[in-house]
Amino acid sequence: MTATGGPEVPAAGSADAPADEAMDVSPDAPHTPAAPDAPAAPGAPEADGQWHRMHPVTPVVKGWKIIAVLLAIYVQQTGDNLFAGRDLPGGTELLVSAGILVAGVVVAAVYSALAWRMTRYQVGPDAVHLHSGVLNRTQRQAQLDRLQAVDVVQPLLARLLGLTELKLEVAGGAGSDVKLAYLPEAEAQRLRNTLLARAAGVRYAEGEDAPEAPETSVLEVPVDRLVGSLLLSGTTVALVVAVVVVVVVGVVLDTPGVLLGFAPALLGFVGATWSRFNRGFSFRVATSADGVRLRHGLLESRAQTVPPGRVQAVRLSQPLLWRPVDWWRVEVNVAGYATGAEQGGSDQNVLLPVGPRRDAITVLSLVLPDLGTPDDPWEVVAAGLEGATGDEDPRGFVGAPRRSRWLDLVGWRRNGFRVTDRALLCRRGRLWRQLDVVPHERTQSLAIRQGPLQRRLDVAAVLAHSTPGPVSPGVHHLDAGVAGRLLDEQAERARSARAAAPPERWMQQRSEP
Amino acid sequence: MARVSEPPEEPGADGADERPRSRRVEEPFAPPGVRWTAVSPRLVTVRRLGVLLGLAPFLVPITVLTIVLRTGWPLLALLPLLLVLAWLLWLVPRQVRAIGYAEREDDLLVRKGLMFRQVVVVPYGRMQYVDVNAGPVDRRFAISSVQLHTASPGTDASIPGLPPGEAARLRDRLASRGEARLAGL
Repeated sequence: MTATGGPEVPAAGSADAPADEAMDVSPDAPHTPAAPDAPAAPGAPEADGQWHRMHPVTPVVKGWKIIAVLLAIYVQQTGDNLFAGRDLPGGTELLVSAGILVAGVVVAAVYSALAWRMTRYQVGPDAVHLHSGVLNRTQRQAQLDRLQAVDVVQPLLARLLGLTELKLEVAGGAGSDVKLAYLPEAEAQRLRNTLLARAAGVRYAEGEDAPEAPETSVLEVPVDRLVGSLLLSGTTVALVVAVVVVVVVGVVLDTPGVLLGFAPALLGFVGATWSRFNRGFSFRVATSADGVRLRHGLLESRAQTVPPGRVQAVRLSQPLLWRPVDWWRVEVNVAGYATGAEQGGSDQNVLLPVGPRRDAITVLSLVLPDLGTPDDPWEVVAAGLEGATGDEDPRGFVGAPRRSRWLDLVGWRRNGFRVTDRALLCRRGRLWRQLDVVPHERTQSLAIRQGPLQRRLDVAAVLAHSTPGPVSPGVHHLDAGVAGRLLDEQAERARSARAAAPPERWMQQRSEP
Repeated sequence: MARVSEPPEEPGADGADERPRSRRVEEPFAPPGVRWTAVSPRLVTVRRLGVLLGLAPFLVPITVLTIVLRTGWPLLALLPLLLVLAWLLWLVPRQVRAIGYAEREDDLLVRKGLMFRQVVVVPYGRMQYVDVNAGPVDRRFAISSVQLHTASPGTDASIPGLPPGEAARLRDRLASRGEARLAGL
């Protein structure tokens, strides 16, 4: 099979099985994949090709939100009445509202129960099927060789009940994931192992469980550092300034009302900071044959598994305030992980919320083990992290020419790139330092751009397009000739890197030597 | 791979736009050995109509006011508008001539823009799907646009103003090449 493990070949091996040397764990494991729905389909008992339902407590865990919303509306209404100067609700009024509330709860409960009844999943050898929906029925199928990541999510209530949500990310943008919610914890773990093993192309004998791939803990983020990083953020500084201004204004003008008006902003800040703390709490990074494992979360805990080769681009960034302590944040683009507003604050794209340079580079090396440079990779990355040399970098970065300073007064010395055998490194930002790393085989398309001012100065920008995510790699204000060459060579490099890329099922060995 | 066909109605458009004024500046946007195919000049008409439609909400009331009030004052506002209109009408053909595409062995190049120029390189193997669009005005003038989509939302590779035959040919060709060079994400 060629390097581009054809996604249109559903059963990897139906056509090219002889060439594929799947990693068989047991000596007499079947060499051909089991037929769909065959009882012999190995792995977790849940992955037997039969239809399964979610855990029966699911409606309660899902439904409490509806009840909470109803309660909130009710409380707000009564609150409004209070403020409007009316009396507290009398006996009949109370009864009516309680009745409405109960009716709402009943409707919500019936709907949740129906939804639970209609939700079924089936795990086949090559795909996961999920049927759901009461009025609008949905049948979703996720191809396992297209699996981009597996998340195990436990909201607080589910955690207390020992339940878990399994999220299978496929590359279809936000909302394309298959959510299996809620499963008992042990079952979810087994299912995850089986799915990852099947996605990897490992086959197990009948009745044998796919063991959890042994993992090595790499690093964790201590709580004090997380708190420090939150204190050393732009929002905190803005808040402190705002508080000082408000207090001074309040005292000088003798109007304490100003403070009251400031309360919503304060609440918003506290909420945002809390959620960042909540998500980053006890952040642990581990590595296994299945890829990088991330675990984090205080109330809602999340365990993410990103298989090898699924990371499309990496960004190391450092806000100005973190510079004295040399802390860095690492984010990635993974196809299927939602971004920005869509993600509802789940922070899936964060590979390391905060860490010293050593940790950041370690994490980078997990997702990109070989930087493909004859030089010391740490030196190369360091040059990308802090180098600000314009176009005379002794450490191999090709920078922007001096004349581009008119377009980027502060940061022009930082603009630059370096090409290694495996990846393109783009650096930028003097105050907010950034280093973007894109493996050659992960570039989607390339562009060169030039505005009128850039044209006068004979400079141009080269952009490498990546899947949706926080990282948008590109080099700005390069010499136009250099940019043109970079575009041309990068297109060629991306092509040859793709040809040599490992297969989608990452444990299968290449048939070619 | 043979460069099968170029749009039949572009004798004046092609080649004419490839007159680099300053060799050095032009170079990164005109890689050597790349032969650009221009789009149909009918796109000029369509885009000029678009400009007129866009400015009509300003032009019409002013003209009506002038006639109804029998005073010349509104014309003062009309003058800059007419200047903008003339400039846009002059700009459109140049912009259209700046649009071009080239099918290479492994990727498609799409070029556009006069002031803000860009060239996008889309490897065939990265293509997820191809859109062919034609609005009512486009259909009246027998042009359609082809847009390539990769897994990246940043890929801005749309080719407007293709004759329908060429659009269909390009679509099929891109699809078949994409299949031949299929790669994962």
